[in-house]
Amino acid sequence: MGLLDVENLTTYFDILRGEVKAVENISFTVEKGDAFGLAGESGCGKTTTALSILRLLPQNGKVISGEIHFEGKNLLEMNPEKYRKDIRWKKISVIFQGAMNSLNPVMTVGQQISEAILTHENLSKEEALDRAGKLLDLVGIGSERVERYAHELSGGMRQRAIIAMALSSNPSFIIADEPTTALDVIIEAQVLKVIKDLQKKLNIAMAVISHDLSMIAETCDRIGIMYAGKIVERGDIARIYKEPFHPYTKLLLGAFPSILGPIAKLSRISGFPPDLLSPPPGCRFHPRCPYAMDKCGKEDPQSIHIKGEDHFVACHLVE
Amino acid sequence: MMLRGYLLRRILTSIFILWVVITLNFVIFRVIHPVGDPSQLIIQPGFPPEAREMLREIWGLNQPLFPDQYGKYILNLLTWQYGYTFSTPPRPIGPEMAWRLRNTLILLGMGLIGTVAIGLPLGVLAGSRRGKKTDVLVMGAGLLTWGLPSFFLQLLFLLFFAYYSNVWFGFQLMPFGGVMSYPPPKNPIILVGDVLQHAAGPVITLILISFGSWALYARNMIIDALTEDFIVTAKAKGLRERDVLYKHAFRSILPPIATMIAMAIPGLVTGAIITESIFNWPGIGQWYIAALNTGNHPVTQAVLFNFAFLMIIANLLSDVLYGLLDPRIKVGVRR
Repeated sequence: MGLLDVENLTTYFDILRGEVKAVENISFTVEKGDAFGLAGESGCGKTTTALSILRLLPQNGKVISGEIHFEGKNLLEMNPEKYRKDIRWKKISVIFQGAMNSLNPVMTVGQQISEAILTHENLSKEEALDRAGKLLDLVGIGSERVERYAHELSGGMRQRAIIAMALSSNPSFIIADEPTTALDVIIEAQVLKVIKDLQKKLNIAMAVISHDLSMIAETCDRIGIMYAGKIVERGDIARIYKEPFHPYTKLLLGAFPSILGPIAKLSRISGFPPDLLSPPPGCRFHPRCPYAMDKCGKEDPQSIHIKGEDHFVACHLVE
Repeated sequence: MMLRGYLLRRILTSIFILWVVITLNFVIFRVIHPVGDPSQLIIQPGFPPEAREMLREIWGLNQPLFPDQYGKYILNLLTWQYGYTFSTPPRPIGPEMAWRLRNTLILLGMGLIGTVAIGLPLGVLAGSRRGKKTDVLVMGAGLLTWGLPSFFLQLLFLLFFAYYSNVWFGFQLMPFGGVMSYPPPKNPIILVGDVLQHAAGPVITLILISFGSWALYARNMIIDALTEDFIVTAKAKGLRERDVLYKHAFRSILPPIATMIAMAIPGLVTGAIITESIFNWPGIGQWYIAALNTGNHPVTQAVLFNFAFLMIIANLLSDVLYGLLDPRIKVGVRR
């Protein structure tokens, strides 16, 4: 059993037109100190998975079934007040996307970091603010910026401030939700280095959510590839990148350019991701899959363990 | 300093706007108003023409509009004098206005404070429980009383709390009207209580009529604020629901709310015409409407001048408040 175990998690959203099957029956494990990447295109359920773990789904979102175990405790059955006090930020914190309005525009960065500290620890305001300054030093933007507002910082600095905030209560697990989206490549590289260094140094387990496979390759040890609310393939990242089994993974990797490899035309995946109000029966990828068989449209493929390897794949072809 | 330059610019434009307003104030009443010459309302057909001339002389209407009347009017305002009423004998407007303004401020001041103090928290509460029973109940009640004509609700109040309570229970909950009993009680504490008892009816009905609009604004702004990304951040940090609502969501809508409050202040000096009439509350509203009907132009001009003046101050105030409450806006800095 790992630090975080997600087992058969299913999350739906109720909207006027029906039920959006955003996340269906997904499972993965993150070990202590491990970095797990959750990759997939927009709308495939990556963030919904994160919000389910954090129990921050919007009002119309519901976990239908499944279990989430963290340090052996079932998070979904925990009393909400206990969850708020003992888990949120204290154990599981989040690196939000800095490009969004994730920092409150009318509070200083220091106030926002110390607020998180004060919620979980019995410190004076000065001590908390002092710690906030140290954290800002740690992420490399300098403690003198505690009194800055979000709009006074650049995109990269904002993202670093958010990282500092995520570290503020020494969590054992961090969810990084698109931590470098909307940053330019130079700043992205710097921010990734900060995240990676701190993760190793502080031995924090991490789940990185991104649509950027190269970014996940750089930061993570293991990966889960999501498509239309399901994890189609997961396991050791080197293995999956080298020898993908699922057609979607193959096509996805083929859609990324390689600097070192031979010059090749980038492939594309024809068609569009399905409407999750009424996903296709059987394998959700079969309408776009070049290898689809009759069976694929009828039977939902189960996750298959590749013997002797840290590698799971849900595809009829592999059977 | 940028702020000083900004304030100087604002004050200069404010003075210009004020000049435009008071000039319009003069032109509308003395040139365009149907009762251009109020002496014609008093003079009966049988009166000798000299009587009318006398009135016009007393009121200064025999002089040419420009520059004599207009110049005098402007000079008066420059020294903060409102001039004299068109009555016999003419009375200085300052003291006439003072006691009425006191009455109106008691009434509308309590009304505004009550409305904001009740409407805002209810709106925030409703917004944070969007779609739940609390929301439906608060907004239902607020919109219902907002939709009622004020005079209807106020007459009901008089009927039940002043009349029927006496008939049924032998106890009059509130007086039929007026600001205080006659003769007024000598003990100042009892006097305050007496005034409060007289003010209760109009103040409570005013609050009932207007809290709904404030609650609706606050509710919608809170609903918007609660969809912001930083609210998710605040929740993820493990803050209590109450702290998320007040320290983050409510704090972020404070700037527009401060503006709304500042903008409501000028309305305090024009009085509440209907409410004052129904509760026989001698205030600016009654005075204003009577002056409008009898062509008592100096009075209407004085009331409107007060309103315009306060409006300009309130605008300035709300700009400064906005800059204080929202760090993204620095007053005086041009982008």
